[in-house]
Amino acid sequence: MRCAESLRVQAYFDGETDAVLSAEIERHIEECAECRTLLRDFGETREAIRREVRAEHAPAALRARVMGDLLRESAARSRTVRHRVGRSSGSAPSIWRTASGARSFWFGSLSGMAAAAALGAALWFSGMWFAPASDRLIDDLAAAHVRSLMASHLIDVSSTDQHTVKPWFAGQVDVSPVVADFAGQGYRLLGGRADYFDGHRSAVVVYQHGHHFINVFSWKAGAHALPKDSTRNGYRLVFWKAGDLEYCAVADAGSSELLALERLLRNDPGAEPTIP
Amino acid sequence: MDDRRHRFESEVLPHLDAAYRFARWLSSAPAEVDDIVQEAMLRAFRAFETLRGSDAKSWLLAIVKNCHSTAMRRSRRREFVPLPDDGEAEEAHAVTFGAPDPESASILRDEGRTLERLLAALPEEHREVLVLRELEELDYRGIAAVTNLPIGTVMSRLARARASLRARWLREVEGAPRAVR
Repeated sequence: MRCAESLRVQAYFDGETDAVLSAEIERHIEECAECRTLLRDFGETREAIRREVRAEHAPAALRARVMGDLLRESAARSRTVRHRVGRSSGSAPSIWRTASGARSFWFGSLSGMAAAAALGAALWFSGMWFAPASDRLIDDLAAAHVRSLMASHLIDVSSTDQHTVKPWFAGQVDVSPVVADFAGQGYRLLGGRADYFDGHRSAVVVYQHGHHFINVFSWKAGAHALPKDSTRNGYRLVFWKAGDLEYCAVADAGSSELLALERLLRNDPGAEPTIP
Repeated sequence: MDDRRHRFESEVLPHLDAAYRFARWLSSAPAEVDDIVQEAMLRAFRAFETLRGSDAKSWLLAIVKNCHSTAMRRSRRREFVPLPDDGEAEEAHAVTFGAPDPESASILRDEGRTLERLLAALPEEHREVLVLRELEELDYRGIAAVTNLPIGTVMSRLARARASLRARWLREVEGAPRAVR
C-alpha cells in the first residue's frame, strides 16, 4: 500500500515545494517509514541513472548543418530588407541617370547613400517617437522598483488579505488592479503601495517570492505602446495588458518567475509560448 | 538581422546537445535523429519571437518532440504499423522505438551501463518523463510543456515511471532489494 503522501514526497525530492510545504513534508517523513524508503529509493535511482547513462553531444556534422541553416535563414531575412532599400533608390529622379558607366557607378552609390540616409532618418524619427517613450517607461519602472527597496517604502498598506489591499487602493489611485494572494504557488502577497512615475498614478501590488520582492505596477492602458519584456540594470520587467489596465512586474528574479506570476494574475494557466 | 541570430545563438543554440539527446531517446535511427534536430532548430529559429523570455530549453525540446511526431507519422504512412492500445501494448511500442538491439544491449551490460539499457527499454511515455527530469533536469512545468500534459499527470506518470524502472533494476541485479543498497 502506497502512502497517500507519496506524490508530495516526490515533489519535495524534485525541489518543487516551497519552504512551508517542504517543512510539512519533512515532518511527515520523520513519522512515515514508507516515505523515508521512497525518498532514499528516488535518490539512489537518480544517482545511478546519472552515473550510468552517457551524456551525448550533438555530432559536429549536425552542428555545422544547423549553423548553415541559421546563416542562410538570417541572410534571406536581411535580403528582404535590402531589397526594399534598393527599390527606393530606384525611384531617384531621372536626372541622376546617365549612360556613362563610371558616372552611373558614382551616381548609383550616391543614390544608394541617399536611400541609406533616408532609411536612417526614418529609423531616427520612428526611434524618436517610439523607442525613447517606452525606454523612459522602462527606466522609470526600474527606478521606482529600486526606490521602493531602498527607501524602505515598499508598502503603504501591509496585508496578506486581498480584501484589505484592494479597497485601500480605491482611496489612493484611480485604478483597481487584480489583487490576490498566491502563497500556495510561492508568491506571497505583502501589501500595496501608491506610486507615481512617468505621469502615471500607479497602484503597486507587492509580492514576495523566495527572497525576491516583486513590484507589480498597474496603470490605465492607452498612454503609449506597451513595451516589450526587458532587462534594465539587472532588473527584469515583464509587461502585459488585462482589461483596461496595463501591468508591469519588476524584480531581480528570473523572467520565468515573473511570467509565472503574470499567468497567476491573469488566471490563465494555459498561456505558454507557441510550440511551432 | 544578425542581432536576431546572435540572440538565438546565445539563448537557444546552447541547448542543441539536449535537443540531440532527447531526439536520440525518442527515436532509434541515428540518421533520422539528425534530420529531426535540424528541422527542430530551423522551426525554433523561425518562431524565435514567440519564445518571449520563457524557458528556452523546454521550448526547444517541445519542438523536437513535435518534429519527432511528424517524422513518425510520415514513416507510419509509408509502412503500416498498427498503433498500440494503451496499457500493456505500450511495451510492444517500446520495442519498436528506442530499445537497443541485442548486440548493443550486451555492450551496455559489459560497460556497466545497466540503467541506460533499462531506461531505453521502458515504454516511451515513461522513458520520456524520466529523461526530461533526471537527465535534462527540467522542472515539472518544463516537462508539462514538452509533453503537453497537465502537471498533475506529469507527477503521476513520473511516479509510475520511477517505480517501474526501480522494479526492473531490482529484478536485474537479482535477489532481494537489499542487494542494490
